[in-house]
Amino acid sequence: MENIKNIEINPLKTSSSLGAVIVFLGIKNAVVLMHGSQGCASFDKVTLTKHYRENIPVYTTALNELGAILGGSSYLKAGVKNIADKINPAFIGITSTGLSEVNGEDIHATFNELKKELKESGDYDNLSLAYVSTPDYDGNFEEGYKNAILSLLQTFCIDDRENLAGAYNNETIDKNNIRNISDYKNNDKNKDNGAKDKDIKNIRANVFCPFSFTAMDFLELRDLLEDFGITPVMIPDLGTSMDGHLDENGYLQTTSGGTDIEDLKKAGLNNLNIIIGSSLKSLIAPVKKITGLNTYYFSNVSGLKNTDLFFKFLEEISLRKTPERYKRQKRQLMDAYLDTHFYFLGKNIAIAEGIDILDSFSEVLSEVGANIKIGVTTSKAYENLKNRFEILTEGDIDLFGELIENDGNGIDLVISNSNAGYTAEKIGVPILKAGFPLIDRIGHNFKHYILYKGSANLVYEAANLLMSVNEKLMEEV
Amino acid sequence: MQLKVKEELFDEPTCEHNIQKKEKKACKTAVPGSSTGGCALDGAYIVLSPIRDALHVVHGPINCLGNSYNQRTSESKGNETFYMYGMTSSINENDLIFGSEDKLKKGIVYAVNKFNPKGVFIYNTCVPALTGEDIGGVARELTEKLNIPVVPVQSQGFSGGKNLGNKIAGDALFEYVIGKKEPNIDILTDYNINLIGEYNIKGELFLIKKALSDNGINLLSNITGNATMEEIMYSHKAGLNVVVCSKALVYLARKMEEKYGIPFIEESFFGLSSTNNAMLHIAESFKDAKLIEKVKKNIESKTKIIRKEIEPYKKFLTGKRVLLYTGGVKSWSLISALNDLGMKVIATGVKKSTEEDKNRIKEFDANGNIIMLDNGNPVNLIKMIKDEQADILLAGGRNQYTAIKSLIPFLDVNQERSNSYTSYEGIVHLGRQIYLELNSPVYDVIRKAN
Ligand code: SF4
Repeated sequence: MENIKNIEINPLKTSSSLGAVIVFLGIKNAVVLMHGSQGCASFDKVTLTKHYRENIPVYTTALNELGAILGGSSYLKAGVKNIADKINPAFIGITSTGLSEVNGEDIHATFNELKKELKESGDYDNLSLAYVSTPDYDGNFEEGYKNAILSLLQTFCIDDRENLAGAYNNETIDKNNIRNISDYKNNDKNKDNGAKDKDIKNIRANVFCPFSFTAMDFLELRDLLEDFGITPVMIPDLGTSMDGHLDENGYLQTTSGGTDIEDLKKAGLNNLNIIIGSSLKSLIAPVKKITGLNTYYFSNVSGLKNTDLFFKFLEEISLRKTPERYKRQKRQLMDAYLDTHFYFLGKNIAIAEGIDILDSFSEVLSEVGANIKIGVTTSKAYENLKNRFEILTEGDIDLFGELIENDGNGIDLVISNSNAGYTAEKIGVPILKAGFPLIDRIGHNFKHYILYKGSANLVYEAANLLMSVNEKLMEEV
Repeated sequence: MQLKVKEELFDEPTCEHNIQKKEKKACKTAVPGSSTGGCALDGAYIVLSPIRDALHVVHGPINCLGNSYNQRTSESKGNETFYMYGMTSSINENDLIFGSEDKLKKGIVYAVNKFNPKGVFIYNTCVPALTGEDIGGVARELTEKLNIPVVPVQSQGFSGGKNLGNKIAGDALFEYVIGKKEPNIDILTDYNINLIGEYNIKGELFLIKKALSDNGINLLSNITGNATMEEIMYSHKAGLNVVVCSKALVYLARKMEEKYGIPFIEESFFGLSSTNNAMLHIAESFKDAKLIEKVKKNIESKTKIIRKEIEPYKKFLTGKRVLLYTGGVKSWSLISALNDLGMKVIATGVKKSTEEDKNRIKEFDANGNIIMLDNGNPVNLIKMIKDEQADILLAGGRNQYTAIKSLIPFLDVNQERSNSYTSYEGIVHLGRQIYLELNSPVYDVIRKAN
């Protein structure tokens, strides 16, 4: 479609640098430095501030025209040193931009040089750095997010595995207990759960979640894993860093909460990797390679079927039974499906979101019986979703609007971010706002859309929107 | 390479930074590692995008527009409200290799066919500026082909910050839009003015317009909140330009004075006395005794009414201490509004202010006590608030979380303000909002639990 109209009108897509920035915001005591002209960082910072309603520690190397033409390495070095001196963070995550990359400069080389300089000076021993290349003319948000995760692993996990060997000696579990599969499928093998409860203590898992997870999703997943005796190292951890909490120290110039760099260094000594999210599927191989651990992948953990599968997996991994409260939540979800399904009968849904929400939301809504009609997304990695949608395409919100208006039967509910608000209003369809950016809503970090409880939240929210339209129709008659 | 921004734009007599340093450079740009302000694109887009029947197309990679459109709170009335749309050529790697002028043209033709706008603005950005794409040429070609003004805006971000972008936008309007059409005789009255730099945030324009028309003054063109292309095209027919809270757009006013002989004044509509003054100055500019008489009368009765309305708030706010951190023109224009409310401004941010702005601050500062705060980094701000025992911080949205996380009451007076604070009604809103915020129980509740 892009080839035909040559212009993005109300883009759904955001840049790779933004994806990388968000990963770095999930690191503890961190700031982000965007290597580019000041505007790039400013636009991202403003949007993130509005979305999260938090201070966002994003800084710029303030490249000007001279630097853009003649090379920006001195800007990058000065930027890092200034931030280190002024703010003293534990971690600086560096991203590039279109401007700093377009002249073909080897920023990675500058980055390595800089690391050496800092080390030799001896003044920055407590500072860690990572760099990821994210020219905004290449790739999209999801790719930037993925590449930043990889950069974190490559920078910290590999570097220090040797030094760290033995750090967990007392806690190491028998890896043979964990089966080696990468795409976790349901199977009928009936294990005698619970019996070996005491044999396994302190399973530690590296957990990779997509950006579509709200902060509350991150936190609920963390609780769940802990309830199974699994200590998660979330990479990144947008739950503890971006959930919106008042830090004990009040205002901070860095992130508050997030993944500890020390835990990242030890990631290869943990017991397994769990990767969730269609957008992160291509992480399976490199993550497995870097950490050397068994790696389990779930395209989503939403809806009854997929959440069941995830719990089964957790039972097998941990050799524990599902705690009562989750069994209850499952029963609650079943009831939610039954109670709400009337409102979804014959209703047509259109979704414009990144690939992960597209996947997880359509999973839940199709389970409860809605017609998943139109999907518009930001990347081509949607092959496995094709069957679920009548129309599924890459595009912008303008195209999304056209598809809705051209739909013969009428769309009853739209799911998209704040930027689609105007389109939905103009067409006169209720909109469930989720994803990024959400700048005209507050409290979305407290929304929870995954697992049993989150799926119930989703069907209730959607059903209420559909119900309000029904009521209006009745008034008009 | 198309890197040149007109020398003239840097050579701006009103920019006192330059006068002092005797150099022709853009006003201070950021240093590496600093927290970040907007680029020229940001500044140009703010000025031009409220023009509601034009399309605004950002020629660049996705980051320049994609992460941040649809965020302005400029109000717009009328059917053609294209400013709600964000458009970009979204340059990708392929375009870098093969060039993207053609893609840009085709994209604009597609959008113009779809939306049928009255004009198009093409904003240049860093990457295509660096690779030497000629958006001027594209604009020329499309102007002929589409038969509407297609305006190139050379707003590549590395040339400078928001302020420069404001000027670049003013320059684009001057070169390509203003003076291109004559108004119908019947929309002209004896007293026609333009407002320059009023973006109708939260409907502020509508309040100012009402006050003007109460005085019999005709707002011919508003540059640019809720504006149409047409009204800007015939803005050269006004008898007076009133520059509102924008140092950067004085540049445009001066150019219009040179070419069309329209005098200009700089006014603020924040606060009772400022609004009164603005009305009086406008009337005086027309040198018409009858008009002046009418305005004076109006001012008298308005003042009485508003004083009465703000009385309950004023009672509570008198003596309360404010730290004002907005920079630029608002560093003084709001002081006057706060004085009207009986509040004591203990410090004001002057990071983005000119010498002239600073002089104005002194005018409003009867006792010479107001601290001019140059470095408003968050740590400094908090310290100043604590040291000076300020009751509330009035600032832009970017400082909101600095303040509230430190349990300091806060009111947003910039872009994101949730109320209109201009003109007569605005001062009542402002008083009420500050009063309510200062009386919110939330800070105490948290302090006790903390
Ligand atoms: S600084 Fe340049 S590349 Fe960055 S947003 Fe501004 S115009 Fe775009």
